[in-house]
Amino acid sequence: MKLYRRSLWVFHLNSGSCNGCDIEILNALAPRQDAERLGVKLVGSPRHADAILFTGPVTREALPSVVRAIQAVPEPKIVLAVGACACGGGIWHDSYCVLGGIQGLYRVLKSMGITPPKTFFVPGCPPKPEAIIQGILLARGLVRQKQVRSEYYEEQALAEKAEVDLHRLFHKYFWVRVPPEAARVKYGVAYY
Amino acid sequence: MRPRNKCELMTNLRRFGEPRLRGKYLFISRIKSGRLKDLVDYLHWRLGGYYSTSIGVDERPLDGYFHVYHVFVLEKYGVYVLVDLPANPGHPVVESITPIVPAANWAEREIMDFIGIKFRAHPEPHRLILPDDWPDNVYPLRKDFPYDEKLPTSDKIAKLVRESPSDTWIAEDSEDHTAIPVGPYHPALHEPEYFELFVEGEKIVDARYKGFMVHRGIEKIAESRLTYNQVPFIAERICGICGFTHSTAYCQAVEEAARIDVPERAEYIRSILLEIERIHSHFLWMGVAFHLLGYDTGFMIMWRLRESIMDLAEKLTGSRKMYGANIVGGIRDKWDIKEEKVALINDTLGKIREEYLKYVPKIISMEEIKKRTRGVGILSRSDARKYSVLGPHARASGINTDVRRYRPYAAYKYVDVEIPVEDDGDIYARIIIRHEEIIASIDLIHRLLDNIPRTHLHADTDYIPERRYGIGCTEAPRGEDLHFVITGKDNKLYRWRPRAPTYNNLLSVPTMLRGEHLADAPIIIASIDPCFSCTDHIVVVDLRSGRRRPLRTGGLVGGR
Amino acid sequence: MNRIKVLLENLRKGVVTEQYPFRPLRVPERLRGKPVIDPDKCAGCGACVNVCPPNALTMRDDKHSSMRFIVLFIGRCIYCGKCEETCPFGAIRLTKEFELAAESREDLYQVVGLRLYHCPMCGEPFTTVRLIKRIVEALPEEQRAAAIICPRCRESVTAHYRSYARR
Repeated sequence: MKLYRRSLWVFHLNSGSCNGCDIEILNALAPRQDAERLGVKLVGSPRHADAILFTGPVTREALPSVVRAIQAVPEPKIVLAVGACACGGGIWHDSYCVLGGIQGLYRVLKSMGITPPKTFFVPGCPPKPEAIIQGILLARGLVRQKQVRSEYYEEQALAEKAEVDLHRLFHKYFWVRVPPEAARVKYGVAYY
Repeated sequence: MRPRNKCELMTNLRRFGEPRLRGKYLFISRIKSGRLKDLVDYLHWRLGGYYSTSIGVDERPLDGYFHVYHVFVLEKYGVYVLVDLPANPGHPVVESITPIVPAANWAEREIMDFIGIKFRAHPEPHRLILPDDWPDNVYPLRKDFPYDEKLPTSDKIAKLVRESPSDTWIAEDSEDHTAIPVGPYHPALHEPEYFELFVEGEKIVDARYKGFMVHRGIEKIAESRLTYNQVPFIAERICGICGFTHSTAYCQAVEEAARIDVPERAEYIRSILLEIERIHSHFLWMGVAFHLLGYDTGFMIMWRLRESIMDLAEKLTGSRKMYGANIVGGIRDKWDIKEEKVALINDTLGKIREEYLKYVPKIISMEEIKKRTRGVGILSRSDARKYSVLGPHARASGINTDVRRYRPYAAYKYVDVEIPVEDDGDIYARIIIRHEEIIASIDLIHRLLDNIPRTHLHADTDYIPERRYGIGCTEAPRGEDLHFVITGKDNKLYRWRPRAPTYNNLLSVPTMLRGEHLADAPIIIASIDPCFSCTDHIVVVDLRSGRRRPLRTGGLVGGR
Repeated sequence: MNRIKVLLENLRKGVVTEQYPFRPLRVPERLRGKPVIDPDKCAGCGACVNVCPPNALTMRDDKHSSMRFIVLFIGRCIYCGKCEETCPFGAIRLTKEFELAAESREDLYQVVGLRLYHCPMCGEPFTTVRLIKRIVEALPEEQRAAAIICPRCRESVTAHYRSYARR
């Protein structure tokens, strides 16, 4: 995102969050963290903004206003989903009155033929003000991303060997005379 | 004549129906026909109690009826009066009490939305909470409605977006202005505010409120998906400022219902955390108030001071905002306040107090602040009673009420709580009340820390019996926070109804706004501590020309 | 006059801003940050999935590849620490990591895939190999037989033996 290497003006869009994230966003601009020294400015209108700090799980009631606010931000724009609610719907992700965070919102946007803007995620409940600052700097390409996806899959050979051992134990205890393949029938009780 | 004790009270209440006393709860069922209004009038206006909230419950699986419970608090007799009105599922209509107690307005409309009980003779029986595109005759809090049912969003949204292309919203004179994108959808606690002010020149003649954009279905999730010990975490997320008081109130309600004795140490720790939360909330409010009064230095100072409290909370609980300490029956093990932490709290609070006293007394004695706030936004004592306002807002209007003193919970039983009361009822009185409360809270924490006992941290809560009623009350930074629960099967709640203090306080705002200058509107609305962020966008309707224009007080606060 | 006194106090206070991105932030010992599953310790029992209030932890059994996936979605986590409290193996714990910003949603997942264990009697998968192995190791010799078959088969075996006893 070369466009945003310099000062980023942000508009804070709340789609029904609990206020936790909203106050942490203000905290990031308060004297201790003072995001303004990094060129971040909170603006009062989506028309003036480069980026949206998006909080809340998107309630049904707020949906029309949220859609229009996102549309009002001039291109090119980016969205920062701040907090657990915006990133993944939070604790109310499957409630009847909630769309489930930014993903649900984008589903609605796509159904209306609007392309969702580039989005960054800042998890936390609420995220520390420093985490929000890190998110903004990440969007500007000034810091490295620390969070990476991690995957682990158990090794097949080892696990199968362990399973065979356990099955052998089974034959030791239960004195099954038939080979294990044949024992693998429902109602296996009949075989011994 | 007022009855002298509970016994006489019971005798007097027999005139209206059948009172039953169950511990602290006085149920009045089978109200004689036509006597409801007299009963409510007696309870709210003559007995010195006040209306707290109404709860609608779908108890069809239990006894075949819908129920409405109107909760009245009688501090003098130490009881909660629950006026029980059953409604036949075939024809769910009960009589409205709003004509007698205006404070019941929203609570009754909420029940109309959620349970589908109609209130006869309600002055404004319109939809309050559910979104406009919600279908009629679908009531989410009925037990046959699944919590994760996603009703298709109607075409309305697509239509709204199409009809008002994003370029035209900035134009001045059109009706469209009521719903511009910067709109009011952002939160107060769970009550985002959107006031329509009617003005004549610069004077406000009337105000109207629209809101509830943050309805997230908390109650339904808690009743369907979560277990008793998971609900404290959702309760904490009702509000990002005073979350801990909600989770405490919830736990107290369940403990009440299941008759669990909380160990003393847990009570002390709860109180200490609650007071820390009160201090940070009042700091926040003061900063915002100074900002709205045009004194941004004050805003910055308050938020800087507040950081030390947030750091303290982080060191104690691991998070700046969501303490996560409560479970039913006490406090979680890791949240214990040990010796070294006691020293840490004492040190930090000492420093905060010293620094606070360097700044704030000077700021609030400034002429500029006084001129803006004295005699502005007055709420008289009788109006305060009429709307059942709570907390610092009521105390600024001369009503001496505080849950911590009159219905002590947690560790407030063991210590004296100072309660400042002012009679003026204006914004300056509200500033003074909160200023004194901060200092009182700091002193209170020191006293609590001095005699924190050594007991267990949580009680055994294996078994919670079914269909028990419980009410948990705490004094949130904004006033009385009331949670009502009915226990259910399978380790889950049957019904949970949290009522945040702003729910009552907001109703009084139009009264305060009437006759004031337009420029004072933001600070008047903010003075009840609704949650400041909503005060920044108000639609102004000029009565003479009928023109609507958006009023923005913009800037840092709320950041719209 | 007071206005100036306040400003003087402020001057005396000096700079309070932290140099956060340029200097690392000191966080308290107790901070509840990103939860991490230690895949070597995790046995896939699903205790954490049961207690997680926002369903940030989910569990999925895939019969085709005979794998069980424990999926942690940090984007939905509320950092309550319930999982840490519940985990019988101490496999999941909250770290002090708080800088979690990510460019894509995919980066916010942690997946642990474990092999499923098939019941030697009915052949149905019901839990992970690792969990059964640990249980068998922990149990005394004479109780191991009950652990290596699935609950349904255990029921029928018990019924079978009972019927012998009654005869």
